[in-house]
Amino acid sequence: MKSMLVDVSVRHPRWVIVIAAIITLVAMAQMPKVKIDTDPENMLRADAPVRVVHHQVKEAFELNDFLVVGIVHEPTVFRPDILARVRGLTEVIAKMDGVIADDIIAPGEVDVILPDAAGGVRVEALMAEMPTTDEEAQTVLLHIMENPVLRGKLASADGQAMALFIPLESKDVAEDVANGVRAHLATLDTEETYYLAGLPLAEDSFGSAMFRQMAISAPMAFLLIFLLMLFFFRVPAMVIAPMLVAMMTVIWTMGLLIGMGFTLHIMSSMIPVFLMPIAVLDSIHILSEVHDHYRATGDMRQTMRKVVRELFKPMTFTSVTTIVGFSALILTPIPPVQVFGAFVAVGVFVAWLLSLTFNPAYAVLLPASALQKFGAAHEPNAAPESHLRKVYHFSQRFRVPLTLGLVAILAVAGYGISQVEVNDNPVNWFKAGHPLRVADKVMNEHLAGTYIAYIQLAGEEEGAFLEPAWMQYAHELQQDLTKHANVGAVSSVVDVVQKVQFELLSRPEPRPPLPDTREELAQLLFVYEMSGGTPDDLFKFITPEQDKINLWLQMPRGENRDVQSVIHAAEAYVLENPLPAGMSFDWAGLSYINVEWQRQMVRGMGMALMGSFATVLIMMMILFRSLRLALVAMIPLTVTIVITYGFVGLTGRPYDMPTAVLSSLSLGLSIDFAIHLIQRTREIHRVTGDFEATMHEFFHSPAQALARNIVVIALGFIPMFFAGLAPYVKVGAFFFAIMIISGGATFLILPPLLSRFSTQALVGKRAEPTEPSAAPVLEGTS
Amino acid sequence: MKILLIAAVLWSIHGVALAQDASDPTELMKQAHLNLYYSGDDGLANVDMLITNKKGNVRERSFVMLRKDFEEGGEQKYFIYFQKPNDVRRTTFMVWKDPAEDDARWLFVPSLDLVKPISANDKKSSFVGSDFSYEDVSGRHWSDDEHSLLREESLNERATWVVESTPREKDYFDRKLTWIDKEYRLPVREEYFDGDKVLKVFEAVEVQDVEGFATVTHRRMSTPRKDNVTDITFSAIRYNVGLEDEVFSERALKSPPREYIQ
Repeated sequence: MKSMLVDVSVRHPRWVIVIAAIITLVAMAQMPKVKIDTDPENMLRADAPVRVVHHQVKEAFELNDFLVVGIVHEPTVFRPDILARVRGLTEVIAKMDGVIADDIIAPGEVDVILPDAAGGVRVEALMAEMPTTDEEAQTVLLHIMENPVLRGKLASADGQAMALFIPLESKDVAEDVANGVRAHLATLDTEETYYLAGLPLAEDSFGSAMFRQMAISAPMAFLLIFLLMLFFFRVPAMVIAPMLVAMMTVIWTMGLLIGMGFTLHIMSSMIPVFLMPIAVLDSIHILSEVHDHYRATGDMRQTMRKVVRELFKPMTFTSVTTIVGFSALILTPIPPVQVFGAFVAVGVFVAWLLSLTFNPAYAVLLPASALQKFGAAHEPNAAPESHLRKVYHFSQRFRVPLTLGLVAILAVAGYGISQVEVNDNPVNWFKAGHPLRVADKVMNEHLAGTYIAYIQLAGEEEGAFLEPAWMQYAHELQQDLTKHANVGAVSSVVDVVQKVQFELLSRPEPRPPLPDTREELAQLLFVYEMSGGTPDDLFKFITPEQDKINLWLQMPRGENRDVQSVIHAAEAYVLENPLPAGMSFDWAGLSYINVEWQRQMVRGMGMALMGSFATVLIMMMILFRSLRLALVAMIPLTVTIVITYGFVGLTGRPYDMPTAVLSSLSLGLSIDFAIHLIQRTREIHRVTGDFEATMHEFFHSPAQALARNIVVIALGFIPMFFAGLAPYVKVGAFFFAIMIISGGATFLILPPLLSRFSTQALVGKRAEPTEPSAAPVLEGTS
Repeated sequence: MKILLIAAVLWSIHGVALAQDASDPTELMKQAHLNLYYSGDDGLANVDMLITNKKGNVRERSFVMLRKDFEEGGEQKYFIYFQKPNDVRRTTFMVWKDPAEDDARWLFVPSLDLVKPISANDKKSSFVGSDFSYEDVSGRHWSDDEHSLLREESLNERATWVVESTPREKDYFDRKLTWIDKEYRLPVREEYFDGDKVLKVFEAVEVQDVEGFATVTHRRMSTPRKDNVTDITFSAIRYNVGLEDEVFSERALKSPPREYIQ
């Protein structure tokens, strides 16, 4: 197999290149079909029970996702001129495509229940008449504050902030609507400040930002990797090959993904960024070896054959372990993560195949003249070699303090892991200071909350909620939830009933209890409809059949842990106060969906990590035919994972989606270094039989390739530190950390450990030198 | 259709002046308004209302409606006694309509044994949660709009005038088309527009002769935007009953006149 691949490539290099080019063109032809998907709901399968209920609730109450426009001004936004501008803005928004004009929640659009001058009840549009004086403007605020359904939602108690809730037909229009709002505001001369917030906007804006990021981050990484490779190998002609391999890997993989009809999600958009470094890894090993041996013969065909044979086993194993690491993501119940894992795995295979075929084919085709400067004896690269040997001596001399230090670090990191907090909030996908995050902060300081979840209480029979005991239950649950620190407001049909009752009875004090007969409940709701109340407004809280009601929760903080805490509180309440027989309880809303997919992801990632850990361990046992060596090989990746997640826990950084997925990367890349180190050490040791000599040899050429890999990937991802989206920054930082830690761990921990092995234990009992490949390597060094 | 034909025959026997060439659109709208809302000196009917939403679920209301006119095209009083839904049975509602001013409305809530005035400054708001607004139930005065005769056309095989109306003051619609049946002099279709958008559509689904009055016995109002439809059917219709003034008093709200309401 190994000979076949390389033989075909060096014999028919042109064919290899032509075929690769054709596949690349076919893959590129798929690109225009790309479909973007930024809907976090799709983190769950379409038939996931949570999503099914979510949609049922949304449909039952005709709920939509909201874009929220905030208006803030000190001392008050309730001033005739500001209200007039808000009204104008509302009218502009109502005409926009994708806006459900009927359901806009804004002064001028919502109904308020008011006492009538003659002593009765009146339901009319808030701000039916535009206020012309400051007093009238303040009356609008008063009406909002007297209305439990609107209080805190539409305006803050101090009148400094107001919010418009703009229901959208779909989340995809959020950014268009937001741009329309911005365009309109640009034509106004305002003293008040306008903010745009809401999950749909965060999600939709993230989609476009994601594209920009892909168009910047991936090419930047590409460029930097190219420059670093150029620095190491000097000859642009030779460095171009691995870069082409990386590009083709990305194009083939993304072409396949798009061609197969998968959407480009936040996760899959990161595939190129993940594949780029992985794709050059193998090439760097090949280039390094070729670089060191080409001069000895001056024959590229010969050198390629020899190098590929020598590297075939470690390269294959490192690729397979990486594939295992990412394939494990298929075990998570999160479709975008599954797609991500599967296609990175595909990409790793593509990279392996291209490295072994395209690199040799390309190198063979290069005219000898282009290679004149390539692979000079040792002079240009003497420095890294001597430094690396110093690293080895350092690790041997300070074995004991190093071990103690490592144990201490691991202990601290272990504690850190116990502190890891699972948390995420799509708004935080934007970096601090982003207008969306500022808006989110300002509005949630003033108002009841832009994060929305729904509790549906449902019965089987029509009119179930006219049963006083049921209405009472909803009332008490609502009161309990309102006390929660992260609940800004809860509104429900109970508020409507109470408000009608209060006004109908001419504002009695103390307030009367909820009605205790079906008739009275039904009649109070009927009075609402008789007094001009819009039925659709009522149906947001109770179905026309009156068999289901909806508690509408607004939360000022959208971090999943804060939402989770509200969910726990509600569940605890229901546990202590059992639901009336026949009543069911369900959650819905984007905030809840986010919590739910994250919970599933964490559990899924745990399984995926353990599964791939076990698989890699078994593979190492097969490769090394030794449990001890296999365990040793697992050390760097274990250390890397423990330290990185320990750091995450200790610094209070949230364990979110990118953080979770990166454990696969740690696993896939860290093991590579160990495989290369151990496998190459064994091969050399088989010849030398002396550990010090082996190390001397290893820390010359193979170690150099490893070090180059570490440097290229670590530095290649520095541009991502400056990305505008937090998940990208995080991935960049993790790449960097994983490379440094696992590289360091491999170089510092493994050689001293391996030195404890007997030659037999290291090389294997059946010393069958089927590979005469090690010998030429030695020749090169002596 | 058969019913329509019979009604047509009866109607022509009744012999209301048929000005076939009447081309004054304001006059046409006035006649249509009077025929729809002011037939006889008073009237009563059992009304069944079905509100169907886009999901196909139906809410039912039924009530007895009494009406007395005090001036043709002017002051009117309505009394409504709800029979369904069951939980709101015995709720009563009264409107004193004066086209020159805001309506006065009262409501009796039986479970609280409470009579309350309810405000009426928003005529476009929904009547008991249906697609009909208060204004649709008691009529929009013809003088509120400017009218022009747009064309004559056949609608459902009946000859009609099509009148275009625009509100004199800013309103929730900016244009209305009314199809007036040439024979009945009744509006048989109305379309309300906001720009190009159809806000709602009224249809006279069935017209019958009742005691010599062409009466729309099945009315439908739909809100296409919401895919919501309300059907109202009138039965046991009587005209010129001789309803006393006391029937339209606050006292009657609590104890409705038994002779008219079973």
